[in-house]
Amino acid sequence: MNTGKLDILLVEDNQDDMDLALHALKREKLANNIYVARDGEEALDFIFCRGMFAHRSFERPPKLVLLDLKLPKVDGMEVLKQVKSDLRTRTIPVVIMTSSKEERDLVAGYNLGANSYIQKPVDFDQFRETVKSVGLYWLVINQPPVVEDSQNLARTAHDSH
Amino acid sequence: MEFFKQFDASIEGKLRWRVNGGFIIAVLLTIFLGFSSWRNARLTAEDASWVAHTYIVIDMIELVSKHATEMETSARIFALTGQEPLFAHYEAASGAVAQDEDVLRHLTSDNPHQQRRLDVIEPQIRVALEFAGSMAAKRHRTQAVPDASEILETEKLMDAVRATGQEMHAEEMRLLTERTQRTEAGRKVTSFIIVAGIFVGAGLLAVARLAINREIDVSARVRAQIGTLNSGLEQRVEQRTAALESEITERKQTKQALAEQAEELAQSRLAVDAQTLMLQSVLDSMAEGLVAADEQGKFLIWNRAAERILGYGPADLPPKEWSEHYGNYLPDGVTLIPTEQLPLVRAIRGEASTTKIFVRNPNVAAGTWIEASGSPLKDKGGVVRGGVVAFRDITQRKADEREILKLNNELEQRVAERTTQLAIANKELEAFSYSVSHDLRAPLRHISGFSKILMEEFGSALDPGAQRYIERIQAGTQKMGLLVDELLNLAQVGRHLLRLQPTRLSQTVAEVISILQPDGEGRQVEWAIANLPLVQCDPVLVKQVFQNLLANALKFTRSRTRAIIEIGHTEEEDGQSVFMVRDNGVGFNMKYVGKLFGVFQRLHSADEFEGTGIGLVTVQRIVRRHGGRVWAEGELGKGAAFFFTLGVGKQTESKTNTATAGGRS
Repeated sequence: MNTGKLDILLVEDNQDDMDLALHALKREKLANNIYVARDGEEALDFIFCRGMFAHRSFERPPKLVLLDLKLPKVDGMEVLKQVKSDLRTRTIPVVIMTSSKEERDLVAGYNLGANSYIQKPVDFDQFRETVKSVGLYWLVINQPPVVEDSQNLARTAHDSH
Repeated sequence: MEFFKQFDASIEGKLRWRVNGGFIIAVLLTIFLGFSSWRNARLTAEDASWVAHTYIVIDMIELVSKHATEMETSARIFALTGQEPLFAHYEAASGAVAQDEDVLRHLTSDNPHQQRRLDVIEPQIRVALEFAGSMAAKRHRTQAVPDASEILETEKLMDAVRATGQEMHAEEMRLLTERTQRTEAGRKVTSFIIVAGIFVGAGLLAVARLAINREIDVSARVRAQIGTLNSGLEQRVEQRTAALESEITERKQTKQALAEQAEELAQSRLAVDAQTLMLQSVLDSMAEGLVAADEQGKFLIWNRAAERILGYGPADLPPKEWSEHYGNYLPDGVTLIPTEQLPLVRAIRGEASTTKIFVRNPNVAAGTWIEASGSPLKDKGGVVRGGVVAFRDITQRKADEREILKLNNELEQRVAERTTQLAIANKELEAFSYSVSHDLRAPLRHISGFSKILMEEFGSALDPGAQRYIERIQAGTQKMGLLVDELLNLAQVGRHLLRLQPTRLSQTVAEVISILQPDGEGRQVEWAIANLPLVQCDPVLVKQVFQNLLANALKFTRSRTRAIIEIGHTEEEDGQSVFMVRDNGVGFNMKYVGKLFGVFQRLHSADEFEGTGIGLVTVQRIVRRHGGRVWAEGELGKGAAFFFTLGVGKQTESKTNTATAGGRS
């Protein structure tokens, strides 16, 4: 488990989906620094550097979170809500990747601050295309906020606690 | 008139004063003249009698003197001649002289001078006569003739008598003159007074005439003025009279016209009476109660039904007592209807109304529900002259209504229950859809994904037959994915909240064509798009409709070298727009039109045309949700046409079943 230089946090409970996603990411050489959380609680612990991830630092946030909605323990919407409502983590790009094309999920996701909402296509070729586009965009094309800003934000958030 | 009175008064006053003054002066003057004349006349008469008296005295004096002279002469001549008759004459005369002397003395008793002279003359006469007598007597007795001396003596004595007589005569003459003069003076005075009186009288008369003339002039002027005024007055009177006469003529004409009208009226009244009778019969034959009243609330009409329903006939009561008398209650059955809410009162007030009233009174003990419709009675000018109320017994209807209400309530309750059940079912369905979309798609993805990986990573190790099977697996997953997606879509249409907004359908169609562009790639497709109107609809759903219909049209014209797809619209009679999508594709047999809009129903094999059989069902569901309808026409081999309306809000029954055939999508 590489927790050092992290690019992607994949939140997925289904082994098959996880394997397919990783397969697709690897093929696009995007899976070098990836961590998979199997439920919402683990994902939150990872992002907020607590529990078994207490050693992690807010200064090294994931560059992208790929979030499934239907998760054990804490569901995807709750994860999204907590990430986007905390000053320390709100700048982390969160892309919802789900089977559901439910309108209400879509609207709720965007309202909570999701950066993208993607329905996983049934066709694997299309899925791979989608994963490639998302990975390229958020990891390569998108310019994240500078680290100093993140630290300042983190400190400010701490102080305010 | 006031003017005249004042005028008369002033004239009269002045005139009267002047006339009275003049008369008083004239009377006084007349009295004075009369008195003066009378007095002077009397004085003159007195003076005249004195003059006469004086003449008598003078005569008497002469008579005495003559008698005395005669005696003496007789005596003396007898004495001289001795003639006996003379002596007798002397004798006879001696008594007469004495008598004359007495008369004279009496006559001159007022004059002392003459009395004194009488006193002188009487002795002189006596002496003279005695002397003469003595001579006579001597002759008679002695026949002696007197001597001359004696004659001389007698002469001398007689001269003395004659001298005194002349004195007396002179005195009387003087008196006569004096008295005559006085009489003359009195006469002159009288004349003067009379003349003066005449002149004064004439003057007064002249003055009076002047005054009267003046008054006459004034009167004449006044009369002239009065005349002018009178003529003005008369003119006015004439005018007035003329006006009155014409008025009278008019009156007469009017009277005549009135009489004619009265005649006509009498006839009309007969007709009206007949009509009234008929009206009454009609009114009485009505099942509805009918009551009419004038503005004062006096009942004009009260038909038999009204009496039957209300239990009473018309009562001469003020409106405020109607509710109580007829027992008119509000729907609660216990509160008397306030007077101002009574339909008839409202009608009289000019308001039309329909009211339900509960009637209960001693004559309608069980109580009756009536429905009363009041409306004002207006004359030609639109002025309210009263009100009329028609009403009917709705007790039975009321009971029915209650029953219906009860049933309705029950029904509503059942509907509510059913709705709740449906809501629950809907929730379950939603959950199901969700799980379908989420849970059913996931395994499909996995099959698709892993079979792909298998093919990619181990394909070279597999023989061609195994590879074909893997491809079949992938095709199956793709098809199932499509099915799942479309089913989900259909479910979502049902749950989708209709968001109506003005939508420019031309633009919607353009967007759809752009989405479908890849499907028509490499084909010759002619789009004939009419200008579509702005329509109130849910743009997302209607876009889905066009997408499904146009996709079908593209699909079923695939075999055509030149596909023609027409999109148009027409206006129906009720103003609804009918939209149409027509193609020149394979078409369908109208025999199977009923199957066109059924779920999973297809008129073509999957080998001919791919499809799930859900597209048109989705179209139908969307159109129905808009309150519209959809139908199709087609002919095998010649093409198909789909029509739909978006009668938003109008629950028009779908004509789906009348449309025919053409299995698609």
